Amino acid sequence: MQIIDRQKVNKQIKELKKKYGDDRSALMPILQDLQEIYEYLPDVVMQETAHSLGIHPVEVEGVASFYSFLRTKEKQGKYVIRLCRTISCDLAGKSNVARQLENEMGIKFGETTKDGKFTLEYTNCLGMCDRGPALMINDRLFAKVDPEKASQIIADCRRDFLKSDFPKVVPSDVKKAGPILDHGLKPAEAIKKALSMSRSEIINTIRESDLKGRGGAGFPTAVKWQLAGAAKGENKYVVCNADEGEPGTFKDRMLLYEHTDFLLDGMTIGAYAIGASKGFIYLRGEYLYMKKYLEEALENRRSEHLLGKNILGKDGFHFDIRIRMGAGAYVCGEETALIESLEGYRGEPRNRPPFPVDTGFQGNPTIVNNVETFIDSALIIVKGYEWFNIHGTEKSKGMKIFSISGDCERPGIYEFPFGIKVSELLKEVGGEDAKAVQIGGASGHCISRKDFTRTIAFEDIGSGGSIIVFGPDTDMLQVAKNFLEFFVEESCGQCTPCRDGNPKLLEGIEMLENGRCSVTYLNELKKLGETIQNASKCGLGQSSPNAFLSIVDNFKPEILGPAAAGKLTKEERYARKR
Amino acid sequence: MAKILIVDDDEDFVSAVNLLLKSNGFDVAIANSRQEGMEKFDEDNPDLVLLDVMMDEPDDGFVMAQSLKKKAKDIPVLMLTNVGQVTGLDFDKDSEMVPVDDFEQKPIMPNILLDKINQLLGK
Ligand SMILES: Cc1cc2nc3c(=O)[nH]c(=O)nc-3n(C[C@H](O)[C@H](O)[C@H](O)COP(=O)(O)O)c2cc1C
Ligand code: SF4
Repeated sequence: MQIIDRQKVNKQIKELKKKYGDDRSALMPILQDLQEIYEYLPDVVMQETAHSLGIHPVEVEGVASFYSFLRTKEKQGKYVIRLCRTISCDLAGKSNVARQLENEMGIKFGETTKDGKFTLEYTNCLGMCDRGPALMINDRLFAKVDPEKASQIIADCRRDFLKSDFPKVVPSDVKKAGPILDHGLKPAEAIKKALSMSRSEIINTIRESDLKGRGGAGFPTAVKWQLAGAAKGENKYVVCNADEGEPGTFKDRMLLYEHTDFLLDGMTIGAYAIGASKGFIYLRGEYLYMKKYLEEALENRRSEHLLGKNILGKDGFHFDIRIRMGAGAYVCGEETALIESLEGYRGEPRNRPPFPVDTGFQGNPTIVNNVETFIDSALIIVKGYEWFNIHGTEKSKGMKIFSISGDCERPGIYEFPFGIKVSELLKEVGGEDAKAVQIGGASGHCISRKDFTRTIAFEDIGSGGSIIVFGPDTDMLQVAKNFLEFFVEESCGQCTPCRDGNPKLLEGIEMLENGRCSVTYLNELKKLGETIQNASKCGLGQSSPNAFLSIVDNFKPEILGPAAAGKLTKEERYARKR
Repeated sequence: MAKILIVDDDEDFVSAVNLLLKSNGFDVAIANSRQEGMEKFDEDNPDLVLLDVMMDEPDDGFVMAQSLKKKAKDIPVLMLTNVGQVTGLDFDKDSEMVPVDDFEQKPIMPNILLDKINQLLGK
């Protein structure tokens, strides 16, 4: 057993408090750094952190146990291998890689080798959906892994000579750029222009552009900024939601890296417009490799007076940005859960109202926006609202960045106008023979060929940009199962419909697999799905049955197959006849 | 006789205030949305605007106040709202974001509303 010197822990915590602050919002980064040192969070470490921040140790344990990237029980291996089990990697052959990894190390998923060298885990979406199967070892990413490559990687770890697939940051695979990605702006051009405008002029320009949030929900950006701008408060906050947890989404990964300055311009413009002086980028734990790069970008901007006091000589306009890392919880992409997480709590969504625009981070007015939304805002300020809103549809203006993966010839990142037909999109990506398309990630809808003439727009099928193509041979029941497993794992557990309903749906799928689900029971499950949609507190629960319900609706003959093959009990056969 | 423009999407509130103002000798114009409000403002040249906050969009009142002040900064705007109670939004007069001359919480007592209006009209 490791003997831990309390005094030493205390000294370390003191240092970390200097870096992250001494209030509760420093809890997560302190725990993350301590885990780096001790390879897990032993009780002593959590107790000392609690004392030091003046909170109860149980609270600290409650927080640590919430996040899958924080470990409280046992020391993790020197190499923590996390294999993505999201549908896109699944379609690309994850199961074979999984088996090979188990064979190589002689352990199952969730275990650590006796020599303490390896921990093997599954993870949800690494944001590498166009290059699956993907896995992450500590903070390094590996793409297009096959069993042979898996074996090689393990051998490299054994020799402590692990070569990364991507020595710096994952290069992006932009297959089609448009006005947004080919904007041609210089860094800081947008902030310079914005500082020559009044706060209300900025918000009005965004309003005229009709920009709606790119994170998925499509809330008008100008309304959010206006409300936060009008709200009373000395300390307002700008938060960039870079949690990108929606399975099948990887466009923010590219935007964060290739359009960093424009994101930071957008955040700074947002701060000026609402009157904020502090900002955060909430970066998903899986993108840890990008933290250093972003920190350098922030540092450069400080030295160029684009962050800090009196930005670009504008008297009284102070703004700075810090990076906070997520820790493997999808629900933390929901904006109120994200704020809870920033404050050092479990990422449990809040009741609304009040809304973050007036009661956000530590009770202060806060805007939370997606990476792409901030970039679009910066571009609109320079190029004008008409440049933006000539594209798209009546209710969904502008171009949108899509992450496209699955069974298609050219997966990658695409810029299309809102309103594009699914069939047009499939043609572009080489997926014309698709049997189904999942639009909007796990929380979106799965449509079949009959709906390929529908459009992607907030008024038809809305999407934060995740598109997963399913080829003719896809087993749709397995697709539904994969998504439900995801939600069962990611539910925060606060409310009953989501916490207990999703496992019931999953159980139903297993019954279907085994030919033990009657049509009557399936109809009951559909009703349960609708109840979960209506009665859950946050967007996670509300959207969790979408994939299941749409697959049941669109592929009923297929998923009822096993049951029709005659594996029913007498009672079930009876029930089916009714 | 002073003319008051009421911009509010709550029909019950509008009809009550309409009655109250008319019986106290004011001319009244009514609009139920920001767009209609701006049109009526141009057509009717009111002496004062009573303005709600949340209409079609939750920030319509703020946006309209900004447009009004750009057009005619001397016409007083009295913001009437229960947005604070509904959403917790706590806001203040602010020449840039909330450029109104005063604001009052709904529901409001008739005599208080009349006093406020007269005061803003400089009577
Ligand atoms: C479970 C869940 C996960 C979410 N994940 C993300 C995310 O990873 N990134 C994001 O920008 N928005 C995410 N959202 C939406 C946010 O709650 C919020 O609407 C968004 O950040 C607002 O920014 P926007 O208006 O610019 O889109 C998520 C919502 C839910 C319910
Ligand atoms: S719906 Fe699910 S994730 Fe959202 S608060 Fe309820 S239990 Fe948590």
